[in-house]
Amino acid sequence: MKKRIILSAVALMLALPVQAEMKKLTLMLDWFVNPNHGPVVIAQQRGYFKQQGLEVDIQEPGDPSIPAKLVAANKVDLAISYQPSLIMDVAAGLPLIRSATLIATPLNTLTILDNNKIKKLSDLKGKKIGISIAGNEEATISTMLKTQGVNYDEVEIINIGWALSASLASGKVDATWGGFRNFETNQLALEGIKAKSFFPEEHGVPPYDELVFVANADSYDKAAILAFNKALEQATIYIVNHPEESWKEFAAYAPDTLNNELNKLAWNATLTRFALRPSAIDLQRYDDYAQFMYSQKIISTLPKAQDYIPTF
Amino acid sequence: MPDVSVLDSQPASTKYKKIVLKPLLRIMISVLIILGLWQAVVVFFEMPSFILPAPLEVFARLLQRYDVLLKHTLVTAQEIILGLFLGLFMGLFFALQMLLFKPVKHWLLPILIASQAIPVFALAPVLMLWLGYGIASKIVMAALIIFFPVTTCCYDGLRNTPSGYLDLAQTMGATKWQMLRHIQFPASLPTLASGIRVAVVIAPIGAIAGEWVGSSEGLGYLMLQANARMMIDEMFAALFILSLLSVLLYFVAEKLLKKFIPWEV
Repeated sequence: MKKRIILSAVALMLALPVQAEMKKLTLMLDWFVNPNHGPVVIAQQRGYFKQQGLEVDIQEPGDPSIPAKLVAANKVDLAISYQPSLIMDVAAGLPLIRSATLIATPLNTLTILDNNKIKKLSDLKGKKIGISIAGNEEATISTMLKTQGVNYDEVEIINIGWALSASLASGKVDATWGGFRNFETNQLALEGIKAKSFFPEEHGVPPYDELVFVANADSYDKAAILAFNKALEQATIYIVNHPEESWKEFAAYAPDTLNNELNKLAWNATLTRFALRPSAIDLQRYDDYAQFMYSQKIISTLPKAQDYIPTF
Repeated sequence: MPDVSVLDSQPASTKYKKIVLKPLLRIMISVLIILGLWQAVVVFFEMPSFILPAPLEVFARLLQRYDVLLKHTLVTAQEIILGLFLGLFMGLFFALQMLLFKPVKHWLLPILIASQAIPVFALAPVLMLWLGYGIASKIVMAALIIFFPVTTCCYDGLRNTPSGYLDLAQTMGATKWQMLRHIQFPASLPTLASGIRVAVVIAPIGAIAGEWVGSSEGLGYLMLQANARMMIDEMFAALFILSLLSVLLYFVAEKLLKKFIPWEV
């Protein structure tokens, strides 16, 4: 008996150094957990973070404008943000860097009901567009409308918070901006409502990364970020190779909220959108988008991509 | 109760000093102290401006964007004032119903209390879908948030009329209506005044909550925009105006109440 106690004590002591090496990392998502966070959840569920020596604490905010600020204030290590928001934040002087990409294409859409009332963007003249405020909608919507000769002040912009689908379905607004093509469109379809989308990158807006990870520019831990990105890449590859199994593992993360028809549809619509190489970066693409925002007067200083996107 | 005759006997200039200048001086001193503390916190803790902008930055933004701020302030002020009227009217109406018709009270009181457990923030998105994204939904939000304090205060006041007054009126053969008009209602006014004071201060919360959920103008809308664009100084400028609006409303209400209920302390 004594021997066993000593043995287990020795085993514990041996295990301790291993545990001490585990690096703690807090990650704040941009919103409550949803299929966009697939690689993060799968990396957590399948222990990829652990294999990289990371103990990741995933948190959810109540407001998507908060996470990046918390990173800048050193309250969390990593946060999910949006490329346009990151550029705005950096232009405003926040100490932030982009550490990885989660979803490398735009997801935002200008959505309308598919009932033949609005066929092209120019039909939106004089109509109501509901938005959930992100700060750059004026740039994107006005650019899209301008491609068909409509001015921004010829439409009525209304903040509708998060009631995007409900406002569109009930006819309170004629179009919505801020809904995601992999989520809101499916949500409407489940309600039996057919919707149609205009994609910003097909109407004059430069393509951008919808979801990126941000870290504090002054205090980021390079080794931890490298380990994190590796686990992320591993998880993404697993998802692409095993879409069905990964869906089950994703839904098991929070079955009460995730395991439903809408999330399953969204999962399949998101599969092809995860960044296959989360660390990879195209600086020119970031500079192009920053230039676009600068020319649209959304930002008043023009940050250089190389200053807020270190290569790892 | 202030001695009105003494006040009146003073020369006009002293009266002006007493009524206007002193409170104004007090407000200015408290504002200066708060601003000083605020600036000290920013300097001492080296707060980055995205967490807490310095008062001077906010003031600069206030001047620079006064036209935009003014435009949105007018919208919000309108929502608050109309909401106040609607809420006060509803509160009075329900309090009278509960007083005059006993069965109504038994049915209504639990519903009123239950309605207070519902956070307006939860209800707001649905209200927007029902009433649209215009001014109506914000007025209803502001009215809903003040409705309960007004109703309960008014009802308590009406209920707690000193029984001696009522007995006297009864012996003199007053009708139910006469008792209400000449005794119960005047006697309830001081309690109602407390309800109105609470209402004036919290009505802006309702209006702003409405604007956060769905709007195209107003201080709440401006705050969301500013927050999304990392213009935290502008957000604080809007917050500053909102607090100023509340203080102003409170003092106007106070003045009116003093005028109409002179027997209240």
